[in-house]
Amino acid sequence: MITVVLPSTLRVGPSDTLSISEPVATVGELVDVLDRRIPGFREQLDDSVFNFAVNDEMLLYRARERRLADGDTVAIIPTISGG
Amino acid sequence: MPIRDRVARLVAEMPEAPQYPTQGATLFVDLERRTVQRGYTPMRVVRGLLGGRGANMFYLHRLLDETLQPLHPEVPLIFGSGVLTGIVPSAARGNATSWSPESGVLMDCNAGDYFPSFIRMNGIDHLVLFGAAASWTLLHVHGGWIHFVDAAPYLGLDNIDLRERIPNDFHGTWTRDLAMVNITRAGENLVLTSAIMAGPKACYARGGPGAKMGSLKVKAIVVQGQTHDFETAQPYKGYNRQIAQKLLETSVVKHALKTTGTPFLYKPSRLLGAMGTKNHQETTWTERLDAEHITPYRPGMAGCFRCPVNCRPLNELNADRSDKYGRGDGPEYVTLGKFGPNLGVERIESVIRLNNICNDLGLDTASTGSAIAWAMELFQRGLITERETGGLALTWGNAETIERLLFMIAAREDFGDTLADGTRAVERGRYPAEALAYRMAVKGLMQSDPHDARILKAFALGLAVATRGMDHLRNRATLEINARINDDPAFKSRLYGGPVAAAPDAYDGKERAVRVCENVYGVGDSVGMCRFTTKLFNSPSLPGLEEFGHQIGNVTGLDLAPEALDAIGHNVTGVERMINHRLGVRREHDTLPDRWFEEPLTAGPYAGERIDRAEFDRMLTRFYDLSDLDEAGLPRRPWRGQLEAIVGA
Repeated sequence: MITVVLPSTLRVGPSDTLSISEPVATVGELVDVLDRRIPGFREQLDDSVFNFAVNDEMLLYRARERRLADGDTVAIIPTISGG
Repeated sequence: MPIRDRVARLVAEMPEAPQYPTQGATLFVDLERRTVQRGYTPMRVVRGLLGGRGANMFYLHRLLDETLQPLHPEVPLIFGSGVLTGIVPSAARGNATSWSPESGVLMDCNAGDYFPSFIRMNGIDHLVLFGAAASWTLLHVHGGWIHFVDAAPYLGLDNIDLRERIPNDFHGTWTRDLAMVNITRAGENLVLTSAIMAGPKACYARGGPGAKMGSLKVKAIVVQGQTHDFETAQPYKGYNRQIAQKLLETSVVKHALKTTGTPFLYKPSRLLGAMGTKNHQETTWTERLDAEHITPYRPGMAGCFRCPVNCRPLNELNADRSDKYGRGDGPEYVTLGKFGPNLGVERIESVIRLNNICNDLGLDTASTGSAIAWAMELFQRGLITERETGGLALTWGNAETIERLLFMIAAREDFGDTLADGTRAVERGRYPAEALAYRMAVKGLMQSDPHDARILKAFALGLAVATRGMDHLRNRATLEINARINDDPAFKSRLYGGPVAAAPDAYDGKERAVRVCENVYGVGDSVGMCRFTTKLFNSPSLPGLEEFGHQIGNVTGLDLAPEALDAIGHNVTGVERMINHRLGVRREHDTLPDRWFEEPLTAGPYAGERIDRAEFDRMLTRFYDLSDLDEAGLPRRPWRGQLEAIVGA
């Protein structure tokens, strides 16, 4: 089971978390599963503003190759700079 | 040569009429004699540097006497609006430029709100102030003219009270027909971390502009006038609509800026282990300061003149109207970081309140928060004690003491007098020399962004080479933290004009990203565009050189292709380097605090990371080559000769 935490702007229901029970080995495969469940999701995620964090570890590159294990939490986090 | 002679020589060579549609005048205001001269920025300067920040550099280069001191009244304070300011959506910005009393190098700050646009509604693009007024003065700009008003009734007023008084006294309404820049008690008292306020929160912040304006005895500049459309070279509103649409469709605007504002960045920085904490001794902090915890206190968002984004979060801590600091504007990410983790403060309510106090007292939250963090580390290490602090225990996270210190800084009272000297506390004999080892500054300016850049090497290089000191808004290659871009090397290479390493902690090619950002942001500041909505700062798909060039053509009639604009951005930083060279800045000043070279990170996925001196030096050399700089950090010839011809040196 992988838990996905969505930012408010990507939520598709009342909750900010989704549970994925299908087997997924990488973040890339997780995106495939999410896109099947939520049409258009891959397109929304194909956006430089979103980063992935796995168990609170922010992925700055090679993000979709990152391997996942049962029980992992994957957060999608908008990333911007400020002043 | 005295400033009046410099001004006379400059005015004599300036055109007496606008050189292109929408161009406003430059007013030279002799505060001592209460006289005003006017002219128009010559076309060779516009073609080489544009307006706003770029043209400000022309004026500073010509009028600066480096044998004086920054707070000498013959060192001018220059306000400038961009060539698109007040005309294009999200172009509401202007710059304030001088010789920084805090850093000792170039002072150049950027702010929005309404002043830069409203000054243009009066047919004015630049204001050059010099000579100390005999008594405190308020400048009233109305109908394109400047009136000198006795400011005695306003002395001692901070931002909130002054902004309550002015609409009544001048019969105007904020945001409709009235705008103002002003100093507070901090500026009057020459606090080196004081800002020039441009709104309830917006301010010209970095390098002590409040002290500079205070040294000229100018309390405020009030500008009045009805907003109107400009006579332009070509119709421009259709393309404005395209720009507005592009802004609103960009995901970073939709998903973050328009809804929450910049505090969004706190969480990514915290998770990365790159959140400057306790003066950067640590780099991660509590999740209780994540942006979602500000949401209950955010009643809405505000924005600048004709900006469709509205990225400024408002705050309301309580419903008690008698609590002066129970509501306000902000905090931005910088303030959240500087008054949260960097001071060891864990409660979001405390950070919001301290933010509101800084906005009232007119204090730059970056420099002020950093100065307090520096003092706290010195206290922690025993380099200063309660004997120096007047009995105050400078312990981390003590929000009550921090609040007290802010008022003491503004008044230059007791230990506040030391903090009010900012980075110069050692030079002025307040701290022992060993204290410099813990000062998180470059070129005499404390870091703006609270993000610890030991991981991100493009960010680190940018902080080192920025012409105004350690500040992310000059050249930060922000997109180096975006995996989507790092994982598409072909796209990234197109974005920065050559290969840039994907790994954020690698050094290869990072000079390209910084060079391109410095050019684009230099142009952005010279047309008046907000950094948040300029391409490369937060997104690769926001308006950039192509859109600026198109609209410059419509508005002014000038034909400037993206390549020409890129060269202009380079020129702006080139003239800034020529000014800094006169102020003693050399290659060895393009560096970082020792802590980042010597102390590895202790938390997060990049634990153990630091800046490698040899790698950094090689990256700096590549940046110099790419930027056409010589070993002293000056533009090489023949480029330097071209810049000298532009500024008429």
